[in-house]
Amino acid sequence: MRFLRLQMPLMLTALAGLIPIVAFFMSPDVEWSQWLKDRLERYMVIIASFAILLGVVNVVQSNVRKIERRQKGWPYGATLLFGMLAMATIGILGSFRVGPFQGIGYTPDGGRTPFQWGAEFVFSPLQATMFALLAFFMASAAFRAFRARNLEATILLVAAGVVMLGRIPFGESILGGRPYLAKFTEWLMDWPNAAAQRGIMIGAALGAASLSLRVIVGIERSFLGLEKNE
Amino acid sequence: MDWLTKLMSLDRRYIFLFVAIGTALPILFPIGFKVSITPPVRNIYDKVESLGPEDVVMFSFDYGPSTSPENDPMADATLRHCLSRGIKVIVIALYPVGGVTMADQSLSRVLADFPQVRRGIDYVHLGYKSGSQATMKQMGESMAAVFPTDRYGTPLEEIPLMKRVRNYDDMRLVVSFATGIIGEWWANLINAQFHVPIAVGCTAVSAPKYYAYLNSGQMIGLLGGLKGASEYEKLLIDHYPDARATYDRAGLYTAIKGMDAQTVIHTVILVFIILGNVAFLAGRGKR
Amino acid sequence: MELLGVWVASFLTLCIFSFLYKDNPFFRFAESLFAGVSLGYYIGQEANQTIRPNLVEPLASDFAGNWDLLIPLLIGVNLYTRYVPKTNWWARWSLAIYVGYYVGVNMVQKLHGEVLPQMQSTIVPFSLAGGWLGLVNSAILFVGVLTVLVYFFFSLEHKGIVGGASRIGVWFLMLGFGAAFGYTVMGRVSLLIGRLNYLIIRWIMGTIQSLG
Repeated sequence: MRFLRLQMPLMLTALAGLIPIVAFFMSPDVEWSQWLKDRLERYMVIIASFAILLGVVNVVQSNVRKIERRQKGWPYGATLLFGMLAMATIGILGSFRVGPFQGIGYTPDGGRTPFQWGAEFVFSPLQATMFALLAFFMASAAFRAFRARNLEATILLVAAGVVMLGRIPFGESILGGRPYLAKFTEWLMDWPNAAAQRGIMIGAALGAASLSLRVIVGIERSFLGLEKNE
Repeated sequence: MDWLTKLMSLDRRYIFLFVAIGTALPILFPIGFKVSITPPVRNIYDKVESLGPEDVVMFSFDYGPSTSPENDPMADATLRHCLSRGIKVIVIALYPVGGVTMADQSLSRVLADFPQVRRGIDYVHLGYKSGSQATMKQMGESMAAVFPTDRYGTPLEEIPLMKRVRNYDDMRLVVSFATGIIGEWWANLINAQFHVPIAVGCTAVSAPKYYAYLNSGQMIGLLGGLKGASEYEKLLIDHYPDARATYDRAGLYTAIKGMDAQTVIHTVILVFIILGNVAFLAGRGKR
Repeated sequence: MELLGVWVASFLTLCIFSFLYKDNPFFRFAESLFAGVSLGYYIGQEANQTIRPNLVEPLASDFAGNWDLLIPLLIGVNLYTRYVPKTNWWARWSLAIYVGYYVGVNMVQKLHGEVLPQMQSTIVPFSLAGGWLGLVNSAILFVGVLTVLVYFFFSLEHKGIVGGASRIGVWFLMLGFGAAFGYTVMGRVSLLIGRLNYLIIRWIMGTIQSLG
């Protein structure tokens, strides 16, 4: 039983991880390697679909519990479930073209299916506005917290100011109409910024690659809910 | 400097009001600031200018409604450019949270101005597919294996354009409009392994990181945020008279119009930052 | 229906913006609706764009030729056994395959697509082929990348030459973060411009035009 619960998942992780790695290094003429990689890639497209929806079960469970127990804020839980069920139902019915629900995008004559209407006039504005709120909080935070306390903070502040001015039309022509600030901003992005980003990228990539290796060889097992010595 | 101390303890809702007014006024009363072109944007424009009716470009909508004010104008402008030149276009979406809706809407907006463009012959909309890197790698072998049908359910073997596009080898350029990491995957996975030229239109938040890919040649160009979108629109307007008429339309949201508000708000926020630091330094001086 | 849709969208937009004044039931309602509708959207799109064309239709139209698609179906459905107390360890098998594949891809992607090309374009011979500015830029790039990497090397104490290099690395990082902040301001403000444009142009002016 321990083999099925512990060793088997670790072996499957190693196998699934090695297939794309081996295929990368093998010549395309090595048919068995390419076939394995192809099959796995096609399967992953479908498996990813199921994986993406995994969180839905969790959300439904917690909100149903909230409603059953009439916990604080339970009407909002009901709103969440209503929104989810309404959208999912018209989406699934539209996907399989049941009754009046023929598709989930635009209709051939340019009209909107119910799902498309929900996507355009409920989903999109809600998501867009949630993120638009950030502009206000960022302005408030910049006013209250962005201070030149030391040399490093001053460098950060000056770089931010240069970019903010250099990327707007007014700032580009601030020096008597000459584009020096714009050119300096472009240089700042192309060279010092690129250097910093590259250093971070290389460091993070090496870390990610070593973590991937640890997962494949079975040292890192937390994603399976296991401790190192289990 | 008592007024500075009072300013520092201002209720943040007044700051919110300033920001809202500063953004709304240029929308109501457009200013019309000039837009200048930067090399990363020019490179994408020049690449598309070098292509023609025999060439195929793929657009990947890798963003959702959360960043549509930045990514929509760049997607629309690049799509208009390709269709104006008769370039064949394949549209896909890889972003699960609204990518395909953004693709639907962009196509709907742009195709209204190109009634001669035919679905299945001049462009094809393949829709969204989950799987991220698996999907992107599989497209390097076979588009049909990933997208058995187009967005509307037509089998790929029945679509004339897809008869001559098997994988990335048949595309001259891939343009990703991205909000998150998917744009990076086009550069560090697809360009690295399949060598197809990649251009990315990204949000301003992620733009600084893409300069490293630009510098190393993994991307041919970059549209960074609303500024990048406004530059591309300017290039289109300057060289395509039909585009000028389109972008002058009243009520159409364009990046160039958006840059007016951007200019005002950047100035407002810079003033806030300067005032905050003056108060901070004055306070430090007193002590 | 279009005008009704714009009014619904604008109402929901204002509900979210009301949070700027203070937390209130309108905001909470819109927030919960957002969470629910997002999940429903996911479900609808996955069903329409992946499950139906890549799984259901191939199995329904030619089962003999596509029977192997039962394998990803089984693996995918098995992921959900984690919610069944008695058999929740079955889900480990599916998770193992899913995570294993993506870490395998990721490992090659990071090394081949990030580390190698980025290092290759950093370690270039200094030459005057691009003029004095080109030479200076190459030097800045090389020194910047090296010192940033030294900063992130925590196995050595940051003193002496290492400390000095690390300090320069921090300056480069501050330049990069400052540029990132400037762009972040641009990005966030753009989102607000989009929403206010919608309210002013599509809602208010659009309604006046349809009534007029």
